[in-house]
Amino acid sequence: MKKCIVTLLVLTLFLSGCWDRRELNELGIAMAIGIDKTENEYVISAQVVVPSEVSMKASTGRSAVTLYTATGETVYEAIRKMTKNAPRKMYPGHLQILVINEDLAKEGIAESLELLSRDWELRSDFYVVVAKDITATEVLNVTTPIENIPANKMFNSLKTSEKNWAGTEGVILDELVTNLISDGKEAVLTGIQVLGNKETGTSKQNVESITPSTRIEYDNLAVFKEDQLVGWLNEEESRGYSDITNTVKKTVTSITCPKEGKIIIDIFRYHSKIIGSINKGEPEVDIKIEAEGNIGEVLCSIDIMEPETIDKLEKIYEEEVKEIIHQTIESVQKQYQSDIFGFGEAIHRSNPKEWNEMKEHWDEKFSDLTVNVHIDMKIRRIGTVNNSFLKKIKD
Amino acid sequence: MMQNVKINPYQFLVLVIFFTIGTGILIVPSVLATEAKQDAWIAAIVGIGIGLLVIWLFTTIALWFPHLTYIQINEKIFGKWIGKAVSVLFVAMATLYTASLLYYSSTFITTNMMPNTPIVALNILMMGIVVMGVRLGLETIARSAEIFIFVFFVLFLIVVVFISPQIKFENLQPVFEAGTKTIVQSSIYFITSSSVNAIVLLMIFPALINKVKQARKSFLIGNLIGGIFIFIFTFLSVSVVGADDTARQIYPSYELAKRINVGDFVQRIEELMGFLWFIALYFKAILYFYASVLGIAQLLNLKDYRPLTLPLGVLAVILSLVIYPNVVYQKEIEQSTEIYLSISIGLFFPLLLAIVYAFRKNKLKKESESP
Repeated sequence: MKKCIVTLLVLTLFLSGCWDRRELNELGIAMAIGIDKTENEYVISAQVVVPSEVSMKASTGRSAVTLYTATGETVYEAIRKMTKNAPRKMYPGHLQILVINEDLAKEGIAESLELLSRDWELRSDFYVVVAKDITATEVLNVTTPIENIPANKMFNSLKTSEKNWAGTEGVILDELVTNLISDGKEAVLTGIQVLGNKETGTSKQNVESITPSTRIEYDNLAVFKEDQLVGWLNEEESRGYSDITNTVKKTVTSITCPKEGKIIIDIFRYHSKIIGSINKGEPEVDIKIEAEGNIGEVLCSIDIMEPETIDKLEKIYEEEVKEIIHQTIESVQKQYQSDIFGFGEAIHRSNPKEWNEMKEHWDEKFSDLTVNVHIDMKIRRIGTVNNSFLKKIKD
Repeated sequence: MMQNVKINPYQFLVLVIFFTIGTGILIVPSVLATEAKQDAWIAAIVGIGIGLLVIWLFTTIALWFPHLTYIQINEKIFGKWIGKAVSVLFVAMATLYTASLLYYSSTFITTNMMPNTPIVALNILMMGIVVMGVRLGLETIARSAEIFIFVFFVLFLIVVVFISPQIKFENLQPVFEAGTKTIVQSSIYFITSSSVNAIVLLMIFPALINKVKQARKSFLIGNLIGGIFIFIFTFLSVSVVGADDTARQIYPSYELAKRINVGDFVQRIEELMGFLWFIALYFKAILYFYASVLGIAQLLNLKDYRPLTLPLGVLAVILSLVIYPNVVYQKEIEQSTEIYLSISIGLFFPLLLAIVYAFRKNKLKKESESP
């Protein structure tokens, strides 16, 4: 009996309080965070879910998210300061997307990422993007159709476009940090833009019309050197980047017909590999690509039922993609001298000793690096019809 | 003396596995990757190899006296006073490491899950179950370990299977860049924490085990299996998270589990990893604590060790609060001072013991023949 009482007394000591109790109604779930910088202060904006609007029953038709902003000398200060304005403490565990202002990116992004990699509540599975020609706050201020929560729309559209189109890169925080510190690979991030009128985009009316007057759209890739944004790739180069770095999952590529017109190839399997080597003391890189695709669209008069035509088309695809890749590499080598493709890492993997000698001045080596591209493309199927009806019309 | 309970070799095997894994499963990958970079997994293999040699030494020494615990062997070979002095150091180390493990567990919880919870509360709870286990005796500990090893295996398989699609072999290349010296150096921490510290198991082996010959095999195999667990996690951390990131993380395996995402459906299951770690950490702490209470009891020639559990438990909790002022200090100590402490108590004294035994062999034999 005595024992029981003692145990109970001891237990009450521990069970009386739970120091880390946090109920759902005390959390402000931040889905997207934007980082801008004025003169010397960070402006942080957080897109926070309004729980009552997300639930089916109690929805009153107001916006599903709200935006809080705060300024501070550092990111952490600003996020905590947000409580002066927001009724709940920010909970970043469900963060989907981090938007960084272009001007800030030009100054350097490393400092603003430090907290995000250290804080225990954050998971590193959110995407990082750069707001192009616009502040991050303005990006987070746009309502979106289909997805009630704009952060989800941004996350999902980057994910689907990366999967089905290529030319955009869903870079998560860890990848970004790894690329920032690596000697042999520089970072890229996808740009995000707001099209249309920025002012009307903030209200619910924006999504009430069939074509929203203000839309969020992904742009091309931003090239970084160390942690500073140095420039942008164009669309073709962005797709060339995906081709090189094996981030293509599915895509469509248009190639020219032997005579005139276009044929669209639907690539459904794609694999590329970068292999480094040292040739007569100089670094060299081989890119090996294997692709499989179907004919998706035939816009020229050509007899695709001939086996030779298929062979010819495969050749043309190989030539044209090779051309795009060479152009991409050349323009990056000339304009930015930033090894975003990870050629340095490839050489580190194959020739660690030589790499250690050349890594100090890799930027110069990179800008006149020889790159050989080997592509092996196979066309498998041609869809549900054989020769195109266009052929009949034209004949 | 008071110990009539005996555990069987299989139970001992399970205890050795838990002891070897211990805290290492979360921390070792980071320590290995700091110096050896992408060759951390090679360092883990080297560590397992050297670790087995250490265990072989322990078992050899212990089997010279199959009915004595380490404390009793010390006294027998070094003589009463020197032997007791060595044993005091040994017991002090075991107590210190119990406290150190408490600090580990509460630091992990306050860093990753519950930042506002005072570590006193966490440590008292943890020590509570450790004391409870030790009071119930070695048999109970061994049986519960038998049950938990299944839980452990299942959780382990879940984590490994779900993370394996994300392995990138590029992260492991170039292989063998670090060089032999760096690799061996970086494996030292792993060897001390999982093999050299296993000297405390000589309080159980061979005196409290029924089939001694088989138990020796269990000791070696258990150490090997535990080592393989740590090797697998090191390999996964480096190949999934990358060498740089592994080195930068304080708990790389936890970060590894955070990455699990199967079809946007199986995700956010890193607590499994936490649970996995707690099981191993609990058994390691309980073995340290058991060694220290049993050791003190034998030093003082007490009939039963149970009266010591509560006071020593309180001592361990208090020690765990003052042992490290902060996490940085802890990391610094555990990779320098604690390694020397472990090596001197877990390797230097046993070797000395072997040498003295070689000289006094004949005399000791005569003593035992004519008691």
